[in-house]
Amino acid sequence: MTTVMNHKSPTASHRPIMERLNVVTALVLGIALAVISYYLASKFLPENTEGSVMKTRHDQIILIAMFGWFIGFMTGIGALVAPVRWLMGKDLSHDENMYLAGKDAGTARYFRYTTDHKVVGIQYLVITMVIFGVGGILAMLIRTNLGHAEGGWLHPQAYNAVVGIHGIIMIVGTIIMITGPFGNFIMPIMIGARDMAFPRLNALSFWLIVAALAPILSSFFLGGITTGWSAYNPLATQSPGGMDGYIMFICIFAISTMVAGANITTTVVRMRAKGMTWTRTPIFIYGTVASVALALPAFPVFFLSQVMSAMDRAAGTTFYDTRGGGSGWLYENLFWLMGHPEVYVILIPAVAALMEMAPVFTRRPLFSFKIAVMGIAGICGLSILVWAHHMYVTGWAPLLNAPFMLTTELISIPTGMLFLVLVGTVWRGRLWMTVPTASIFALLLNFMIGGITGIYLSDVPADAALHGSMFVTAHFHYTLMGAGLTGAIAALIFWFPKMTGRMIDKQLSWISFWLVQIGFNVAFMGMFMVGLAGQPRRVEAYAELFTRGNQITTGAAFVIMTGMLVLLWAVIYSWRNGQKAPMNPWQSKTLEWSVPNPVPLENFETLPIVTSDPYGYGKAQS
Amino acid sequence: MSDLQTKKPQWWKSKDVKITAALWVVLSVFIGVIGGIVNSRPMGQPASETMANTIHIMKLFTWVSAPVAGLVAAIAIKSLMQKMHFGDNPPAEADHQISDSPKATALWLIVSALLCLFALVFGMVVFQRDNNTLLDVHAADVNVTGQQWAWNFDYIDNGKFQSEDLYLPVNKPVHFHVTSLDVVHSFWIVQMGIKVDANPGYITETAVTPTKIGVYDLRCAELCGLLHAYMQKKVHVVSQQDYNNWVTSHGGTI
Amino acid sequence: MRTLVNNENRSNLNGNALSHFPNNIVGGFMNKRILGAFLTVALGAGTIVGIGSYVAAAKNDSRVLAATPAGTLQTPQGNLPHYTLDMSVYPDSMFGGHGKDGGPHPDYVSYGPVTNFSVPAHSAVTITVHQYDSGETITNPFFAKAHGTMDGTMTVNGVKMSEVSPKTVGHTFTLHGLANGKDQLFVSVPLLYVPEEEQPESGYTKTPSVTTFTFITGGEGEYVWNCEFPCGDGTYARFGAVMSTMGYMSGHFNVVNA
Repeated sequence: MTTVMNHKSPTASHRPIMERLNVVTALVLGIALAVISYYLASKFLPENTEGSVMKTRHDQIILIAMFGWFIGFMTGIGALVAPVRWLMGKDLSHDENMYLAGKDAGTARYFRYTTDHKVVGIQYLVITMVIFGVGGILAMLIRTNLGHAEGGWLHPQAYNAVVGIHGIIMIVGTIIMITGPFGNFIMPIMIGARDMAFPRLNALSFWLIVAALAPILSSFFLGGITTGWSAYNPLATQSPGGMDGYIMFICIFAISTMVAGANITTTVVRMRAKGMTWTRTPIFIYGTVASVALALPAFPVFFLSQVMSAMDRAAGTTFYDTRGGGSGWLYENLFWLMGHPEVYVILIPAVAALMEMAPVFTRRPLFSFKIAVMGIAGICGLSILVWAHHMYVTGWAPLLNAPFMLTTELISIPTGMLFLVLVGTVWRGRLWMTVPTASIFALLLNFMIGGITGIYLSDVPADAALHGSMFVTAHFHYTLMGAGLTGAIAALIFWFPKMTGRMIDKQLSWISFWLVQIGFNVAFMGMFMVGLAGQPRRVEAYAELFTRGNQITTGAAFVIMTGMLVLLWAVIYSWRNGQKAPMNPWQSKTLEWSVPNPVPLENFETLPIVTSDPYGYGKAQS
Repeated sequence: MSDLQTKKPQWWKSKDVKITAALWVVLSVFIGVIGGIVNSRPMGQPASETMANTIHIMKLFTWVSAPVAGLVAAIAIKSLMQKMHFGDNPPAEADHQISDSPKATALWLIVSALLCLFALVFGMVVFQRDNNTLLDVHAADVNVTGQQWAWNFDYIDNGKFQSEDLYLPVNKPVHFHVTSLDVVHSFWIVQMGIKVDANPGYITETAVTPTKIGVYDLRCAELCGLLHAYMQKKVHVVSQQDYNNWVTSHGGTI
Repeated sequence: MRTLVNNENRSNLNGNALSHFPNNIVGGFMNKRILGAFLTVALGAGTIVGIGSYVAAAKNDSRVLAATPAGTLQTPQGNLPHYTLDMSVYPDSMFGGHGKDGGPHPDYVSYGPVTNFSVPAHSAVTITVHQYDSGETITNPFFAKAHGTMDGTMTVNGVKMSEVSPKTVGHTFTLHGLANGKDQLFVSVPLLYVPEEEQPESGYTKTPSVTTFTFITGGEGEYVWNCEFPCGDGTYARFGAVMSTMGYMSGHFNVVNA
């Protein structure tokens, strides 16, 4: 049922264009424009000059076709409707804005350019699950290949492509896994607002991600990529056409992240409810804002590095080619300038979400809110000063190794503050044992291991032994997956009742939790061992002595797979048939639990006024 | 809060604090010992001072982190040692409603900062020691060239002859000058604990003194394309006499 | 902040949801949930197996040529069993190894008849390579020399030598990759080019260069070989395209227990 709209425009005798645009028109227009661009480019682009050092035509065609897809898709989904209207000197009417917000629209609104933050949150949840699904399949392909020392199940090109695309897809998935679904759905309600500051940008940030998925998935059919997720040049320049898919993926995703960052930051700074001073703002909000605020300076740099990579491939430039006066080290610096803050972009929301849940499930106040905020701020600040610890052995600037070692080891102090807050909160708490509660302890374990192994890596001499080995792979899986994903799954279970009106099935989520946590720890402990013993990263075959460790990791990976699939089923099943949730099943004191299920379109009937912080548990409080 | 003031002189006497303290000691020792073994066992016998230093510093860092990890583990385990409440409704709210403790915070921060500083200083000391080999003027020089997907070596002190094998005399410092002819590779002698990237258009340096005769592994540690997994080599550390024989048999000069 | 006061909502939470369903379908309810979990896992695993098999099958060349027994040979390591292998290097992929039309990359230089070889351990192996392609100056002169062969020499067009001029190299056969093998195995010979004058207008020259060399294998292991004279024109360092595609100028070399 669509809202009938009043049009002031004299030509309004047909259904307005925004009512016709949805994901189907987006796909059709995107594919059409991609095909047209491809043919036009093939026809009119000049042939490679005879004897030129780099053949650029193939990459030019691919990049142009992908750009055509991008323009077509975004036009077809309706991203241009409001800008075009604005260019014509008008704006959308109230009815049109209500239509865009999905008023009275049913399920159809999830497949359109809907601005309601709750719809966008659900859309993000689904796309995150899709991304993890694809990344997970690729992970299982990797581990199956590594079950035998001689590899060979996947041929080397396919293996490298699988490893690289697994990496970048998972990185994007973990970046959006909390700020996407929960930063969008929950955050505005949690601060007492009716929607986000820029609702149309909200829809834009989501649909950009959908648009970005086509290039990266098409990489497989364009020859794959030869690099890991870090896409080091000059190897990336040598890669077949799939690399252009990676480049487009990142460029589009970077725009999405920057848009989301501007939106979330403005919303939190400007739209908190009356009385919600900064000391009464829930810690999850701090975590979300810190994450996107950190991404704001970092992703333009990543974008730039990929544009230059595209130019080296398609325009014959030599930004990263020493033969032309460029340098691979330029790429490495630009990449890691983004790459290090980015891991905190991933981690901070997960820890902040668990800090938000800790008081609820221990029924006592959050320990030292101020320290939590300082810890988050400290991590953000220091994280932009540590990037070259990824480059200790590159030989780029040996004299800078010591200063970077200093800043890297210093970052363990604000990180420790977050630990202090979590253990301080469980101390003498009255534990309400749920999967989110157990996730807090799982995070403490996993993040401790991840953090300490990070300390080893931060030491320059030790890094000479450990860099580029499976030890590093295990370290970052412990921090991003053991800590990050654990927090995300806990957040899902915690906020599922508010987002879907149902409780997630308890039995299934417990089974999933244990399978994933046990499988994870066994798998990646095994990986530490083979890394210490000398197995390099990103290899599709390895020496005999690493066989046992790899077989353990592969076996445990299948356990993780099972756990995640059980979780998938739990989500699907509970969404449809789960126990109906009351308004505040966890009896939490934050604002999002004060609105009914399903959450009304404008969240609150009257905007709330906040009089205290949300952690007033404990017998002395009311 | 006034509650805290009256409790202050007696907080260390309360039962849960005592249990946690005991857990802390046990767990810290456990983590230090087990962590140390788990780290060093897979690394095997070091073939150079550099590697031996690396193994030691990792053991040291394990012991430095163990009290912190132990405390986190102790508090976590202690809080799990209670009658668990499952179910759909929350349990009664906790007795403990303290939301801040400047003293605990200050203590944590100071101790963790000190441990951090300690780790830093020791790390720098070891770093310095390793760098000394780089500055040794008596070190032999070997040029290392990586290309997709094989290594070759120039023994420039021995008449500039080239070989696909890396032979080194024991107990003599050797200085590697590493470069690449195409993409970025990484020159990693596993058991000697040295690694430096091979970059096209640049020469990077690393140095080591092998201290044990034996056969070790050289592996490429930076993904360099199709056959990265196979870009490996055996490194032979032999006595000076055997080294001289090998050099002359390859047409080099001693 | 509101707390839970609505008794109706509370009753939804006490006990389990089963109390809301008539008893006669309680069993069905339970089974649907567990069955769904099993099915999801099975479906997920099946998807992975399916995609994996598809990707795994997409090898450019999975055929293996085993070495031919040829009696014994006297070597510095004693009398060892002797095996021979015959291979060729073609300037394109039209020789039939990649299919009638040259496969997906008909203009790629290709080794043949296949690119994967298998030889026995602890044996002497003699390889003969017929090289049909032209050449130029090799990038790394190291590979213009013979390495790892039995006496450091090879036979090129009937003449025994240990290196060719770096200006006259067509390709190389470099057996080097050690991932899983226990013993080092490194054998590299340059393959002399066929000068432009001897290349016909179409088809292959009647006078390829012929290189023969012998080496001794160690214990079993999986190795790789590739050409170390990059010719992927238009790619970075010329090591892209054909050089980075297994099954043309690179392949597997397995040393197996006889």
